[in-house]
Amino acid sequence: MKQKIFLIIFIFIASNIFPQGFKVNASGEKTFNFTDRGKRNQASFYSTTPLEDITGLTNDINGKVTLKVEDIKSIRGDFSVSVSSIKTGIDLRDEHLREENWLNADKYPDIKFSIKEISNVKQIADNRFQVEFSGDFTLRGITKRISGNATITYLVESEQTKQRAPGDLLGVQAKFNVRLADFGVNNNIVGQKVAEVVEVSVNMVGSSAL
Amino acid sequence: MQFMSSYKKIVFLISFSLIFLTIIFWIYQGAEIFTKTKVLVDNTSELDKELGIKNEIWVDKFVLGLDYTIGIIILIMILTFLTNYLLKTKRKGS
Repeated sequence: MKQKIFLIIFIFIASNIFPQGFKVNASGEKTFNFTDRGKRNQASFYSTTPLEDITGLTNDINGKVTLKVEDIKSIRGDFSVSVSSIKTGIDLRDEHLREENWLNADKYPDIKFSIKEISNVKQIADNRFQVEFSGDFTLRGITKRISGNATITYLVESEQTKQRAPGDLLGVQAKFNVRLADFGVNNNIVGQKVAEVVEVSVNMVGSSAL
Repeated sequence: MQFMSSYKKIVFLISFSLIFLTIIFWIYQGAEIFTKTKVLVDNTSELDKELGIKNEIWVDKFVLGLDYTIGIIILIMILTFLTNYLLKTKRKGS
């Protein structure tokens, strides 16, 4: 019985002390570039209200992530998305989205995110981890700390991965919520057609060779 | 007189049928509030799945919304009353 308790305590301590990382041949610090010339990386927002569901999507993501391959928690990176590239499926609504009382694309052309912390790392498959992250999110020139969940997958370069980009690939799927009022967006001005809190999803792939 | 009356009935029948079909088509297309010309469709590849990501793309597709549905219904109603008015005028003239 004592042995079992010691074993459980040991596993708990070991999992918290020893860093969790990708099991690949590469080691040390690696940088992944998420600026995809093929524009296949995407960030989207989803708003749901009784009146209408709105999805906005952009493929114009720029950013880089640096990490120590053997330690997921070492991930740091910066991303930006151009406001003018967000499409909602209705041209007129896209124009409204760029207006001054909404995202004000002229004054604040980019939405930015900077990863500051990775926590609660859980391995869910080979070289695939589920993590919680927090970072500085900048919208309309206002920066707030937000947190969310992400799944990070590492694929070593192969004939298959070369179809997407050269080098090793890092796939990132992330989700977090943004309260519009925190960033000076008043959703009441359009009769609450947009939710107070929108869900942001990011699906992107970075390459170590770009 | 009898001919004009039955003709009027036909006009109303056609109008109501068109309005009914428009509403059915609107409901069939998802009963959206606003008309859309683009919709998101899944474009996730096998490699995307291996990378744990999803991919969606906008494709051109017309989805009738309540805004256009109301517009079409109003147009049908105007045409119906206009047709009936012309028929009435024609009846008075003859």
